[in-house]
Amino acid sequence: MPPLITFTNATLGYGNHIILRGITFAVDAGEYFGLVGPNGAGKTTIVRAILGSLRPLSGTVKVARPDGLPVRFGYVPQRDTVDYVLPYTAREVVMMGRYRDLGLLRRPGAKDREAVARSIAHVQMEAMADRPFRNLSGGQKQRALIARALACDPDVLVLDEPTNGMDLASRIAILDLVRELHREGSLTVLLVSHLLDDVANHVHRLAVVEREVFSVGPVDEVLTGENLSAIYNMPVEVQRSHGRTIIIAGGGNGNR
Amino acid sequence: MGTADIIRTIVQEFPLALYGSILVGIVCAFLGVYIVARRVVFLGAVLTQVSVMGLALTFLPFFPVPHTIGSLAITLATVVIISRMLTGKKIPRDGVLGVVFITSVAARILIMQKAQRVEVAEIENLLRGDILFVTPELFELMVVAFVVAMALHLLFFKEFTYTSFDPETAQTQGFNAAGWNLAFYLIAAVVIAFATHMVGDLFVFGFLVIPPVSAMLLTRNVKAIFILSVVIGILAPVVGLFLAFVIDVPASPAIVAVASVVMGASWLWSVVAKRG
Repeated sequence: MPPLITFTNATLGYGNHIILRGITFAVDAGEYFGLVGPNGAGKTTIVRAILGSLRPLSGTVKVARPDGLPVRFGYVPQRDTVDYVLPYTAREVVMMGRYRDLGLLRRPGAKDREAVARSIAHVQMEAMADRPFRNLSGGQKQRALIARALACDPDVLVLDEPTNGMDLASRIAILDLVRELHREGSLTVLLVSHLLDDVANHVHRLAVVEREVFSVGPVDEVLTGENLSAIYNMPVEVQRSHGRTIIIAGGGNGNR
Repeated sequence: MGTADIIRTIVQEFPLALYGSILVGIVCAFLGVYIVARRVVFLGAVLTQVSVMGLALTFLPFFPVPHTIGSLAITLATVVIISRMLTGKKIPRDGVLGVVFITSVAARILIMQKAQRVEVAEIENLLRGDILFVTPELFELMVVAFVVAMALHLLFFKEFTYTSFDPETAQTQGFNAAGWNLAFYLIAAVVIAFATHMVGDLFVFGFLVIPPVSAMLLTRNVKAIFILSVVIGILAPVVGLFLAFVIDVPASPAIVAVASVVMGASWLWSVVAKRG
């Protein structure tokens, strides 16, 4: 089966400013793929190219389903990019995920309300659904945004830094939820994060992005001490224990 | 003069002032919810000043177009130019709006210096907002702007709300966030240009801000915020116009003062409700 997303020697940037040069990789349907790298490395640029809001300066970016239909993306933005002035309820926020399919001039109907209720149940947010979105905790907001992405019945779920700024329990809960969503169906998941631990222990394959460096492959092959030390310009050690990947930065002196 | 006599006088002698101020109250209070939500409150002040500057420009011999058309053209042109800058990250929004605001005020002062004496008085009347002397032509224009603006916003409610709440995700879902953003600002510009010409900048800016903020203090339901804001936009002009007659003060400041009192009461209510 051909890949869902294919970058072939793609150079990405804005105007004359090149961010990433000649990258080649592919994401298969049903894969759990990670995009990891320091802040400002070019992860968001790749996401924009995948979502179609940025054209490559050269090379190609192909996004297509095997049946020829357009790929449906469910995008989960960073929580601080949404507006908190108006007190939309979590349910109203999730309903926004249905707007694309409604088209112009049509209002949500019973079918949309059912789809929204299903998405809310999927992320276990029933009890919070009618509370103002802005009053929810970071983890609850993230669940609501994931529910909104699910409400549009996506082929690919794209999560941009979903655990940024969360406490440990919320981080684990969100990552477990995403893993469950991936396991349950045929959903392709693209997890974008600067937190190496989050990505290393959840995805099948990943791409490490850092402008001059672009490595793609299985976690064990790409996340090596040598690679990460070069990218972060500091000693980084990678250990495997009880099936988990542990990343120790800063010369193994305990600072992570 | 008794209450009934004052109401009869307003309805019979100044019907356009009454209905015009209600129209402006409704449409500004409705659009104001988005303006407050988008954190571009200063935009209301800026566009009213740009509109007045455009109006003043029509008093000069080299710009011989009808006042409303001149005002509208300058306001729309300004919106087209600044809408991209408002969504960009190079210059803060406040910086962009501040530059346009102060440039408009300076230009208006310079234009007034060069205008004929009688025309300066006319411009000043517009700035004060002489709603008691709304002309039928201006009222008809305002009705058209009102119907078009409200119809577009009600028809495309979900597009405007989605691109206002989360433009980044809306864009990934096929909504042209920049396009809807520009459409919003253009509609606001048309309304502000006509409304400022009709009732003055004080009234327009006041109603773009005060009813939405009052409604946000009173309810946590988004639809109720729009409805309450519009209700305040209807009631404050009626009460304000009545009080202006009773205590013999200018209409626009009286109407804005009434709206401000409503906002004060809303704030008190929100404080009490929070403690309760």
